[in-house]
Amino acid sequence: MDIVYIAVNIIVFLAFAPLFEGIVRKLTAKVQSRQGPPVIQPYYDIIKLLGKENFVVENWAFKLAPLMSFAAILSVICFVPLGYKSNFLTQYADVITIIYLLTMGGVSILLGALSSRNTFAMMGASREMVTMIMVEPVLAMTFFVGAVKVKSLGIDTTIFSVMNTGYSWSVVLMLVLYLMALQAFVGKQPFDIAEAEQEILEGPFIEYSGPNYALFKYSMMLKQMFYASLFVMVFVPFLYTGTYGLDVVIQLCEIALVYVLIALVGSTNPRLRIDQAVRYYAVLIVMALGAVGLSVYGI
Amino acid sequence: MWLTSKIKQVLMVIKPGVVTLNYPFEKRPVPENFRGAPYWDHEKCVGCGGCANHCPARTILVRDICQELRVMVYDGSRCTYCGRCADVCPENAITMTDRYELATDDRRDLNESMELFMLTCQRCGRCYDMENKNMIDRMDLQGYRYDNLEARAFIRKTTDSFDPEMLKKTAEYKRPSKIGE
Amino acid sequence: MNSLEQVLKTLNDKFGGSITGHETPLPTRLFVDIKAENVREISNEVVALGGRYLVGIGYDNIARDGNIGMIHSFGFDKDNFIVHLRTAVPESNPVMPSITPDIPGAGWSEREYQDLLGMKFEGHPKPKRLVVADDWPSDIYPMRKEVPYNLVPPGAEDVAYQLDECPEGCSIIPVGPFHTALHEPEHFAVYVDGETIKGCDYRGFMTHRGIEKLCESQVSYNEVPFIAERICGICGSVHATAYSQSVEMAGGIPVPERAKYIRSLLLEIERLHSHLLWLGVAGHLIGFDTVFMQSWRVREQIMWLSERITGNRKTYGMVIVGGVRRDITPEIGEDILNVCRKVEEEVKIIHKSITGDTALHKRTKGVGYLSKEEAINWSLVGPVARARGIDIDVRRDHPYAAYSDLQFDVPVVDTCDVWGTLVVRLLEIYESIRIIRQIIPKMPKGELLTELDAEIPPFKHGISVVEAPRGESVHFVITGEENRPDRWRVRAPTYPNLQAIPAMLLNDQFADFPIIVGSIDPCFSCTDRVEVVNITSGQNRIMSKSELEFISRGNK
Repeated sequence: MDIVYIAVNIIVFLAFAPLFEGIVRKLTAKVQSRQGPPVIQPYYDIIKLLGKENFVVENWAFKLAPLMSFAAILSVICFVPLGYKSNFLTQYADVITIIYLLTMGGVSILLGALSSRNTFAMMGASREMVTMIMVEPVLAMTFFVGAVKVKSLGIDTTIFSVMNTGYSWSVVLMLVLYLMALQAFVGKQPFDIAEAEQEILEGPFIEYSGPNYALFKYSMMLKQMFYASLFVMVFVPFLYTGTYGLDVVIQLCEIALVYVLIALVGSTNPRLRIDQAVRYYAVLIVMALGAVGLSVYGI
Repeated sequence: MWLTSKIKQVLMVIKPGVVTLNYPFEKRPVPENFRGAPYWDHEKCVGCGGCANHCPARTILVRDICQELRVMVYDGSRCTYCGRCADVCPENAITMTDRYELATDDRRDLNESMELFMLTCQRCGRCYDMENKNMIDRMDLQGYRYDNLEARAFIRKTTDSFDPEMLKKTAEYKRPSKIGE
Repeated sequence: MNSLEQVLKTLNDKFGGSITGHETPLPTRLFVDIKAENVREISNEVVALGGRYLVGIGYDNIARDGNIGMIHSFGFDKDNFIVHLRTAVPESNPVMPSITPDIPGAGWSEREYQDLLGMKFEGHPKPKRLVVADDWPSDIYPMRKEVPYNLVPPGAEDVAYQLDECPEGCSIIPVGPFHTALHEPEHFAVYVDGETIKGCDYRGFMTHRGIEKLCESQVSYNEVPFIAERICGICGSVHATAYSQSVEMAGGIPVPERAKYIRSLLLEIERLHSHLLWLGVAGHLIGFDTVFMQSWRVREQIMWLSERITGNRKTYGMVIVGGVRRDITPEIGEDILNVCRKVEEEVKIIHKSITGDTALHKRTKGVGYLSKEEAINWSLVGPVARARGIDIDVRRDHPYAAYSDLQFDVPVVDTCDVWGTLVVRLLEIYESIRIIRQIIPKMPKGELLTELDAEIPPFKHGISVVEAPRGESVHFVITGEENRPDRWRVRAPTYPNLQAIPAMLLNDQFADFPIIVGSIDPCFSCTDRVEVVNITSGQNRIMSKSELEFISRGNK
């Protein structure tokens, strides 16, 4: 039975991630008085890229990086308790594993960028590194706020901690901080400094083409959906009906609302510079530590 | 203040809405004075050659084939749709239409040529001189000009001359190899 | 406060021996003929009296007296006149002292004539190739009359442009010739240390079209405005008007009043269009696409208006020598006022929604700092200078067309950064609308085009300055025989502004590079020339061609 949950996880994420990305693009276009691409455009993009010629740089790191990134995010998806049902893989890992796997996804981007020895890719990689280092702690604190309360690091107990113990000040503070860092997690304005920075630098993916690039794009989309779903699972647990299928559908709708927020914030902000972003993240880290501190005292 | 700016930016779009037109199926109406492709009315044209003299792009050519036959060719490949030809035509034979969708894969689709039977003057056998308002345009007629219809070229006397010896000398030219050279 | 007579008297008193003649064709134009050896001292004197360097014009006079002429122009903004220093050097020995060490703004003009006319300027700090391609043969000088306009010498493989030395500890990031932040091909080699910019080298002129040469040999007087309009896609009318005005000055052709008002109207409409375009491009360069889309949506109304007035969205084709081609009827006047009202409302909405936006402030305040003294040193023009507290505007200082009858303010701020240029341009949009609202009711009745009775006399000099949306644009014309100009020199506003880019870039982050370059509103197709200005820190490290390619291609 649990294997079905894993399969449903994977299928739902793989199927819906491009759709939500399409929603973001469509909404951005409407805010800009344009019609925008059709909502299923990202599917077309990925299919088109898969059919293109694959130019590679002749070293193993370049070819390995997209596969590693895709594998990392897919593994994270398998652990995630979508629909409030944990599957049997969930007990074999804890939140630290999730953080490590996400970091591995980021490292694979760096690996791919640095192995191409392109000046622009190196600049993009350095920015990606800085972003990763600064944003990781906020994600970790999101888990720890729950972990401290339930005194365990298991994935399902941590994520369902709010559902079980209710809202407290630390949870509310963490919710606000997560929303403020959400744009950085998903890599949209004002924090899309490293990825997809087509105006200033071409970013870490400049040398990638064809199927490799499709894998990177897909992992970006999956990562985006993961962060949105994490928000929904951790902080919005009150629409719990008990039926698995219905829960999944409700969660997907909530994820869509989170995406609407991402799109609106993304379309009304310019891109920040890396040093300004670092200052912003530093403030977030300090406040996140404060939230964990509050949670330790049971507030 | 920061948040209100953001909200205003999103609400800015409500009044105009989506402004994209579904182009080939919905077109914007063309205004009256629009300068599209020029059209010659051959019944009014008297073959004065004023349009050919004033075209800045040298895309109207005129040539007398024989004593009584004058050919005017509009080779639309370089036309900039400026409308000077329509301005100077004394018979108002040229109108700037409203056609702007002129893309084609054969350049000859843009050509228009007229063959005019000219009345000859009893004394000199040629057609009349055109009248222009402006001295600058009258000055245009000075200087030799030959319109070659086959080559679609307009050859005009210039004040330049070039020494072919100079070109030969530069077959071994010096490439700059150091900074500051 | 100077007057033309005072300047002439001072120059005569101090340098009487070197001055061989003068003429004053108009109360606002002074031509002083001087000997070539003293050009540097006399130029310094003119600058000390309050002149601002405009442009240098070199021309080929060999057929008439065996000399190559050189003219330096200086503008006196507070007093509304322009002083020219005319010299000539013999073709057999075309050597002249350079005025660049004292007046940095002249550096480019002189390098240009080194390439194009074969002159040599002694004492020039950087006599590198500027305009011609790197594999152009070194003794063919294109602007000389003996070289035809369509000469194509045999090309060479494998010749790259020579960049300056990179400062120690920095790496080179090549921006260009193709880059998503640039609209035209040009090459900025940016020397960065981590993310901080330590220097910049520039090579451009890759799309040099040879317009000046073409219009001297192939085209007649009234066909040049149509080519002049296509020098730039955004300030087309400006170039056509400036050219026409300089021919009118040289030939002594009067322009009817109604035509002058219509010319001013077209120039202001163009200014509206250009500033809205810049607002969009600036938004796009910092990643803020919503501002881009919305301001271009507003700009579309102006394009439709132009289509209704002139028949074309951008290349109006309305200005020719002697006047304009089409009339503005009262219905069109009503139309223009309606559109202005709508545009003003929408620009107010956009203005309100971005002035409070702190994210935008973070990207533009304090970025691209250049102090007022440095800006004066580099002779900046346009909104870039007005953002640094320099109060110059050609419409007010050297009035042309109908501007002497119109009331308007010139917005000047002194924040000395990119935010200042944004504020200045937004305020100028409101001023332009105010000017248009004055022009429409005040337009006098009359002719549109002057009838000329006689030929335009050859070999007369005429100069005209016009305020383009980017700054001041200078055209100089020497009339010629056979109904075409003998020499036409175009100096677009981006020309002096580009020289100050490395100073603005120094010690800023690399991510600000596009917005700093964008803040001068560069129009490289107007500029037509690229000058390499470098700020090295004194250390030498020669980058070979292969190393440069290695970095820029990412090693294959």
